[in-house]
Amino acid sequence: MIITLKMARQIIDAAVKHAKKIGNRCSIAVVDEHGWLVALYKMDDALLPTVDIAWDKAWTAAAFKTASSDISKFGDASKPNFGLKATNWNDRLTTIAGGLPIKNGKAIIGAIGVSGGTPEEDVAICQAVVAALKLD
Amino acid sequence: MKEMTLEMAKKALKASVRWARDIAENPCSVAVVDKAGAVIAVERMDGAAQATTDIAIEKAWSVVAFKVPTLMLARMIDPRALGKQLGDHGIGLLTKGKGRLTFIAGSVPITGDDGEIIGAIGCSGVPAGVGEISDSSVCQAGWSALYD
Repeated sequence: MIITLKMARQIIDAAVKHAKKIGNRCSIAVVDEHGWLVALYKMDDALLPTVDIAWDKAWTAAAFKTASSDISKFGDASKPNFGLKATNWNDRLTTIAGGLPIKNGKAIIGAIGVSGGTPEEDVAICQAVVAALKLD
Repeated sequence: MKEMTLEMAKKALKASVRWARDIAENPCSVAVVDKAGAVIAVERMDGAAQATTDIAIEKAWSVVAFKVPTLMLARMIDPRALGKQLGDHGIGLLTKGKGRLTFIAGSVPITGDDGEIIGAIGCSGVPAGVGEISDSSVCQAGWSALYD
């Protein structure tokens, strides 16, 4: 299964609704399983950099097939992966929480990135939306 | 219209995507930016090439940055225009715009009530830049929806 524009719209609309409910203004990006953008919305009054940050979070979650916040563990000097962030691969890698893979069963079909609130709020939006997603 | 909102951007994207799907029958990406050139919404249709999202965004950004459709920028660097005033003037632009300025047709400005540019639509993925079935006409479909 690949992520379609219809699914991406459904995901982003749900995220916008959720963000409005908690009074946040944010950007939401959905990428496919390879990290390529499918859709991206910036809510009115969301800060400018949130667009790129949301996109980068989604890219990171898709590329590493894990939550973007998990990348920060590779920055731990006591672990062998230390220094990953310093390679700044593709300029997109981010360790900020708020990027989550979208799964169909075990397979990762894409990822969502949210930016605009605190990392906890961004993650909460991602989780709510991914959990509510109905795959045909 | 005074300012671009997400609602307006979604309306334009919906119309553009529908036009690209039903009439152009060609998957593509469409981007809407505000008067600062900042992205409001981007959509890539199923089957459109991956790089088209970036190109659609850069086209829309170029419209706001230069206040002309990118078709005009394409004309300014057309080698056939060299030796004429417009061509000589335009070719130097290639190195300007921090790598974002895009010289490919396929974008339209959105003007507000007072005639100022309040945003732009950019499209990429249709083989032609201008013409009946082109990136430009996909943008125009979205543009029309805003002025209904």
